[in-house]
Parts: sequence; C-alpha cells; structure tokens
Amino acid sequence: MFMARSEYDRGINTFSPEGRLFQVEYSLEAIKLGSTAIGVATSSGVILGVEKRVTSTLIETSSVEKIVEIDRHIGCAMSGLQADARSMVEHARVECQSHAFNFNEKLRVESCTQAICDLALRFGESADGEERIMSRPFGVALLIAGVDEDGPQLYHAEPSGTFYRYDAKAIGSGSEGAQAELQNEYHKSLTIEDAETLVLKTLKQVMEEKLDSKNVQLASVTKERGFRIYTDEEMAEVVARLPAN
Amino acid sequence: MSALFSQNPLMNGPNYSFSDTPVSHPNEAHGELREHRFNPYTDNGGSTLAIAGADFAIVAGDTRLTSGYSIHTRYSPKVFKIGGTTADQKDATIVLSVVGFAADGTALRERLDAACKMYRYRHGKPMSVNAAAKRLSTMLYQKRFFPYYVYAILAGLDEEGKGAVYSYDPVGSYEREMCRAGGAAASLIMPFLDNQVNFKNQHIPGSGEGHAIQEREKKPLLREQVEILVKDAFDGAVERHIEVGDGLQMMVITSQGVEEHYLPLKKD
Amino acid sequence: MDHRPQNWGRPRDDIYGGYDVSYMAPNAEPNTHTQSPVVTGTSVVALKYKDGVIMAADNLASYGSLARFPSVQRLMPFADTSVLGFSGDVSDMQYISRHLTSLSIDEAYGVQDPLNAANLHRYLSKLLYSRRSKFDPLWNNILIAGFDSDDKPFLASADLLGTTYSSPSLASGYGSMLAQPIMRKYASTEEDAAKLTKEQAIKIVKECMKVLFYRDARSLDKYSLAVVTRKSGEEGGGGVQITQEKLEGMSWKFADRIKGYGTQTV
Repeated sequence: MFMARSEYDRGINTFSPEGRLFQVEYSLEAIKLGSTAIGVATSSGVILGVEKRVTSTLIETSSVEKIVEIDRHIGCAMSGLQADARSMVEHARVECQSHAFNFNEKLRVESCTQAICDLALRFGESADGEERIMSRPFGVALLIAGVDEDGPQLYHAEPSGTFYRYDAKAIGSGSEGAQAELQNEYHKSLTIEDAETLVLKTLKQVMEEKLDSKNVQLASVTKERGFRIYTDEEMAEVVARLPAN
Repeated sequence: MSALFSQNPLMNGPNYSFSDTPVSHPNEAHGELREHRFNPYTDNGGSTLAIAGADFAIVAGDTRLTSGYSIHTRYSPKVFKIGGTTADQKDATIVLSVVGFAADGTALRERLDAACKMYRYRHGKPMSVNAAAKRLSTMLYQKRFFPYYVYAILAGLDEEGKGAVYSYDPVGSYEREMCRAGGAAASLIMPFLDNQVNFKNQHIPGSGEGHAIQEREKKPLLREQVEILVKDAFDGAVERHIEVGDGLQMMVITSQGVEEHYLPLKKD
Repeated sequence: MDHRPQNWGRPRDDIYGGYDVSYMAPNAEPNTHTQSPVVTGTSVVALKYKDGVIMAADNLASYGSLARFPSVQRLMPFADTSVLGFSGDVSDMQYISRHLTSLSIDEAYGVQDPLNAANLHRYLSKLLYSRRSKFDPLWNNILIAGFDSDDKPFLASADLLGTTYSSPSLASGYGSMLAQPIMRKYASTEEDAAKLTKEQAIKIVKECMKVLFYRDARSLDKYSLAVVTRKSGEEGGGGVQITQEKLEGMSWKFADRIKGYGTQTV
C-alpha cells in the first residue's frame, strides 16, 4: 500500500490513479492529532467546547485559545494546526465585516462557512485572478457556530473545502468516541444547559487528563447574547453540575 | 464641478441642466490659457419621485430624455425593477430610479442588478431593500472621485412589510424617507410633497395663535391618494419645466409584487 | 580591453556601432487622448417604417469649415443585417469600422445567428461608455438600424458619452434640430412609424436631407441612403442596400436676397 502512494503523495495538485489527492487526505490525519473539540446545536443556541491539553503545569492556561470570535453572531472552535486556523479566522472576520459594510446586515452562518472553505483549495498553482496563498492544504478543521435569521446553526469545515451542517459534531483526537456518545445522547429538545453538560460530559470521556474547569473551555452563540466565551466562574459552575463518576 | 451637482439656481443659471447664457471666463481676462477638456458628463434632464405608504411604495419618473434644448426620445424609462430572477424582472421586489446623466444611470442600474444576482447565488436568499440600499451607497461611494452623476432613489418593502424609500446623492450619502423627488424638477416637486405627504405647514384650524398652533396629525397616505399626488406632481412639473414631459412611468410595489403603469404627459 | 566596466559584456562599438539610446528613451511626450474631433462628418438621419429602417448621411468629411473629403461613406453595413451611421470624428469612425469588421468575421466562424442590430447597439454603447470613462472618448454619435431579437425594426443611438436611446426616428448633429421635427410630423409614435411604407419613409428621409443641405453649411448634396429590410421579408433577399443619391431640383434663388450676414455691406 505504501508503494502505491509513493509517487503521488508529493505533488499537491496531482491526482493518484485511483483519483485521490493524498496531501489533502494527509491533512485530514493532522486533525486527528489535534485536541478534541465539540459543538452541539439546540433550538435556542449553539455550545462549543474544547479541551485545552495543558501539557505543563507552567503553562498559563488562559493563553490557550481554541475558541475564537468571528463576528458578534459567529464563533468557531478548532482542532489541528492552530496557526493555520488564524489565517482562516482572519479571512472569515474580514468577510463578515465586508458584508456588514456593504449590505448593512449580518453575514449568514452558511455564507461565512462557505467563505472559509473558499480558502481551503488556495494551495498549489493559482487559478487566474486568485493569488496562491499556501504551499500546502490547511491542517486544521473548524466547528463554526452561529445564529442568523434561520436560527442557531453548527457547521463543520474540513481542509478539503467541504462543509456540512450538524446538530452535534466532534473533531480531533477523541472525535470517534465523542461522536458516538453525541449520537446516543443528542435529541432535538436539548436546552442550552443540557448542551453545556453534554459537551463537557463527552469531553470528559475522551480526554486523557482529568477534566477540570481550567483544561476545558466553553463558548455559546445565542440570539440574545451573540457569541460569548464562558468566564472562569461560569466554567466552574458548569463543571460542578457534571455527574461525578 | 460643484455647480454640476448643485440644485441651486444661482450656480447653474435658470435651473436647467445646461447653461445657455454667455459667461466671461476669469482666466481669460488675466491673459491665461483656458484649458479645453473633454467633459465626460451631460445632464439628460427628467424628474423622478418616490413615496412610501404603510404597506406599499410608489416610484415614478417621466420618460423624456433630453440634452440641452433637444428631446432625444420621448420614451426612455428611468424607473427599473431590480433583483428579479428572470430577464423581464417579473418577480422583482425592489425598484430603482435614476435621473441625471443617463449613461451613468444605466451603468449603475446594471451593476446593482448584478450585485443582487450575486447576492442571491452566494447567500441563497433575495436581497432585502435595506441591504440593497447600503450596497447602492457603497457602489456610489466607490466612485467618489469620478462619480456616477445620478440622483438615485431606491424603493421596496422593508422586513416588516412597510413601504421604504431610500434617496441618494451622486456620491452615496443616503437616508430613508417617506418621500423624495429627484432630478430637474426636484425643486418644484419636493415642496409640494413636503406639504402633501409630510403635512408641512398644515395646522389644525382654530387651534390657537403662535406656539399654541397645532400641527396636523401625520399619518401615512392611502394608495389611491398617493397615485393622485404623483400625477398632480408631474402635471405641475411638466407645466413649469422644459425638461420634463412626454410620459409618466409609475411602479407600485406591494406585497403582491410590482405593478407598472404608463400614462401620457404633455409633449410640449 | 575596454577599461570602463559599463561597456563590458555588450557588442563592441568598433564592430557593431554604438548603442542607439533612442530605443531606450521613454516617450518624449505623454500619451494624449482625443480632446476634440478633427475631421468630422455631420448629421445622420434615420426613420423606422413598416418592414425596416431607412438611414441617410451625406458623403462629406470636413476639416473644420473646409470640405476636405467629398466622397466618404459614413454608412456602414454590418453582417448584412444592420447599418451603422456615424457622425463626428472620421478617424474614430474608421477605427470602429475596422474593429467591427474583424468582429463580424470572428462571429461568422461561430454557430450562432449573426449579431443583430440590438446586439450591436449594446456592444457599441459599452465600448463608447468604457472609452469615455477612461477619458479617451471615441468622438462619435452612432445610429444603429436593423432588427432586434424579436425581428422587429430596431433603431437606436449611442454617443461618445455612452448615452443610449431609441425612437421611431433619430437624427444626430444638426439633424436633431432640422430633420427630427420633420420626421416626427410623420411618425411621432412607434404605431405611426409601423404604418409607413418604404416609399413614404424614403421620401421623408430625402426631404430631410434636402433641408439639411439647405441649412447645414457643413453638408454635401451627395449622400448615401440605406434601406434595411428583413433578410427573408422581400423578393430578392432583403438585408442591407446602400445607394448613392444626389439632391436634385433645388432652388437657391432666395440666396441673393439674403442680406445682413457675412461680408456683405449692402
């Protein structure tokens, strides 16, 4: 199997005879090394949660930023190479501001996701008019949460440039176990509080470290309050609510 | 250039879009050379107006196209449907009127229509009149230093179904209003609209003297009343302005869509 | 060996001669754009009728007040479906004419129907508007006659600013003052124009050319007259027919009774 790939996994723009782009597929592997991130959409808002992977007691945990704001009504959680996510988030922020400037309204969550995915294939030789901006595919996946006129929504964007809308989605190293858990536990009538505990409960199951209020982070996007990262007090409150095992 | 955009009769002769009075050039008097430059603008005359109602909006414009004292054609529409999905714009919900330099008006109309199409493809929904209004403003401002010489008015129904009229200057300043007149006879029509739509200077008889005088209560007009106002406004403008006449094109925007009417005006 | 490093690595002067620096010199003068027309053509008149459009323009290209070129055709057929009438700068007319000829040849290789007059009008108005927006105008007013995509008679104008309009009758230059009122008397609306026969329309246009020759000092009594009909509409093909006409039966007796203008003293 390794032999079959050897000639076709270097060139970024070259299909293998079986019709695969290996570099793009490898980039999906990079995400499986990343920390777990989970998103759950409810009828009143979306909850994002990430594990912070504090590898040293000397790390200042507040400097680990894996959930960021894109606009007042959109936020995202990431898993994979964080530096890559910076440029995608930057692009999405500009896109949101530009839309607000030109149309005097919020950018839709789907349009924002599309704008991010437009970047995904901007590696290799450029198509005309478009600048080549990367030498390789992105090594990061995003969970994009937002609220617009169609209500709360959660999208998953991959380095391949494809995106899907989800009710609940997990990405990163613990994603397989976490997704199975979400599959069992998700239902349409979840409240925001239910979603908070579901996200943390699921993270707790797949994390190597013991979950506490410092090594996980939550954020919510609701119609009323927009995007918001939970404060330390709010985190402690949700963690305290978790059933002990 | 400032005189070009001015509605002030003092700056532009008898308030025609052109001047036929001989002028003495200050530069020549001092023995300096006068630079002769290509003028990329002309004023094609004509007038437009729009009025917002409680659940409708009406945009109207005459159909005469002039240059100087010549009537180029008696039928050149200035009011257009924008943002439909078909070539005949039959499902459009937004109306744009442009008056001033006709070639810039055409270019602006086509650009805004293209922007509406792209918006529909990108965001999977039709553009709201509020969004189209802002887009038109940025479009005009992008040409701040070589402006589209047009007075644009955009109308439709807002998210609550109320009539919305947005008016613009050539470089993109805009505001939402109950009514607005644009173009050659704007200075003739606007005071009439102020009085008849916004009830300016109308008072309740016998309500008192001085500060005690009470203004007439403002309420949105009915569609039938507005249609009569539009016709009266244009009949008046045709009578007193040489660049206005030939035909009246009227678009009525309701929740059912856009109705188009054409009525003849005096051709003199 | 040449001890001056700036001469190393280039052909030897004693064999190839010195380098002609004028090749490298930037343009001595900046690019200039047309700021006013030079050799000009005067009015074009055109009138729609039942089955097509009539257009006429005289054969003169003036250099200011000098009648410089007395046999220049200002009507141009396009793809045997449409006619263009040019007034304004003659060199810009020739530029557009060359451009359209190559366009029609390119289009003829395609599988689509040939461009109709409405297509052509749209194309020209975009060309004129983009050039005016670059402050480098093509100094013409062009009338375009033919048929639209519904096969109805089409007549429209596009000028150096990119302004476009359409009417049952059109005239450029002095024609808009002298000929247009005459044509509007016979065809003020599309419905009136649709009642005119070819013979009536030709008579009206010839009348206009006569008035223009009487009153326009930059005109000529030799002119071109184009008749555009549907290709299938008439026996013997239809399409574009351009004939050369001369104004006859005029009387200038009134001229020596005119006093008070020019150099006359009595």
